[in-house]
Amino acid sequence: MEMNLQAFERFAVSYQPDEIIFCEYEPGDAFYLIQQGRVQISKILGDIEKTIDVLQPGEIFGEMAILEEAPRSATAITVDAVKCLEFNRANFEILMRGNPAIALKLLKLFTKRIYDQRRRFMVLTLDDVQARVADVFLMLNEGQPEPQDETDERVFRTTAEDVAHWAGLSPEDTRNVLNHFVSQRRLEVMKDRIVLKNINEFIRFVSSRRKSR
Amino acid sequence: MPRPMSFKANSVIYFSGDVSDKIYILKSGRISLNSTDIETGQEIHDYIQTGEFFGVKSALGKYPREENAVVLSDSAVILFTVPEFEALASQNTRIIMKMLKVFSTQLRRMHVKVSGLLAQDKQVDPETGLFNSGQYYLSKKRYEQALYAFRRYLTYYPSGRMNAKASEFAQKAEQFAQEYGAGKGPNISGVGSTAEEIDKPDRGRQLSDSAKEFYAAVSVFSQQKYTDALKTFKMIAENGTDEEYRIKSLFEIGRCYYSLKQFDACIKHFTGLIQRYPKIPELPDALYYVGQSYQEKGDTARAGGFYNKIVSMSGAGEALLRKVRRAIKALEG
Repeated sequence: MEMNLQAFERFAVSYQPDEIIFCEYEPGDAFYLIQQGRVQISKILGDIEKTIDVLQPGEIFGEMAILEEAPRSATAITVDAVKCLEFNRANFEILMRGNPAIALKLLKLFTKRIYDQRRRFMVLTLDDVQARVADVFLMLNEGQPEPQDETDERVFRTTAEDVAHWAGLSPEDTRNVLNHFVSQRRLEVMKDRIVLKNINEFIRFVSSRRKSR
Repeated sequence: MPRPMSFKANSVIYFSGDVSDKIYILKSGRISLNSTDIETGQEIHDYIQTGEFFGVKSALGKYPREENAVVLSDSAVILFTVPEFEALASQNTRIIMKMLKVFSTQLRRMHVKVSGLLAQDKQVDPETGLFNSGQYYLSKKRYEQALYAFRRYLTYYPSGRMNAKASEFAQKAEQFAQEYGAGKGPNISGVGSTAEEIDKPDRGRQLSDSAKEFYAAVSVFSQQKYTDALKTFKMIAENGTDEEYRIKSLFEIGRCYYSLKQFDACIKHFTGLIQRYPKIPELPDALYYVGQSYQEKGDTARAGGFYNKIVSMSGAGEALLRKVRRAIKALEG
């Protein structure tokens, strides 16, 4: 389905590089479709700013605001000079009628968000901290393509801090668990990546912990 | 082509874990979607209404099914592939709208559950969160971003708990952005205090009513509702009990006139103010607004006079001086 966006020129908004489009916690009443430039989505956690995603032209963000005016869950800042189409509830109906392709795209985006949140929730419901950290790796593994050769080894371009974030654990607790796995030779923690020796071992371990509850 | 299908009671249309691109509408009969609650492990039954779609989310997202679709009594359904569903929905966008509502509710619920389990993001209320974002950017000397966050704070929480600090920080951010530019400039004291710390002194030393009204009006001003702001500032200036905020309001009244393009009123007001309170710290700024008003009226000679006066006096901030020099240059050019 083709996207004919010329009719939507009047909804276009432009931003300078490094400009905030919206800030975490402010009420949201609009969502955006990027036409030009990149937008960084980030969250501030204490004294660090965590980049969640960098979005490209054609991508949609701020979609939670479509139906309810809830606080933004992250900050959107431009990376380059950015041009977006801005939609709100008032002109959303027009958009839907004039361009169902965007509406469908939005619908698919929601399915992904729900799936990701649900998966994240599954990680957090594990009481056993080791199982929780292990399940983070399973979750990350599901999000990356399977290796070509049939190996059980998996490489993750991630850090202990990221794992802590996903597991909802403190960095210290997470490091302890990782060290424990390292001492069991199940994991190798490098500067820029973590290597998991046998993914199936982790799958078995996590599912045993999930069932035992 | 979408095709009709029949299912006998006690059969299963799809199982949890299946991956499929099929979407269904229930035409008649009774179907239940059975799933397990992630947290409690309890079985959940969702009954499909006649005319309702099911299997949409997993099919569209190409994810494994999350539930078993169990036929309770003989049922008739219509089966769509994803492209067929898309074609139908494009013709009838109400379908998409309805589903977006359902999905958005589901997502919101999931968000709440996830953040409930996250000990680390300790449920910051939006007001504190927004203020903290401003503080974060200010501490990183990203003034434009800090300014954005504080302005938003003042817009949404005109009588918020951290209103005074937010106004102060917003002014600092604006000033430092001009004076030093992003990434540069001295550290600003008090940045990074938690909401509780900012809250505390206020509890001991309650802001006077005038002060509260003043900051509320500053926030209204920042939303460019100058007429409303002007009303409040006038009220404080006339009836306020707190001298400090009475004078501050007098200054703001002039700014309102200027922003409302009432240049004669602006000149008259500031001239009167300067005569009554020649020592107010905002004096150079007041002169600047007078100069600007004359310039707007086309009286460049008088405007230039006021600008030169500001340059010659002590006490004008660097940011203001730069604006004034630019204005002088413009007059000359």
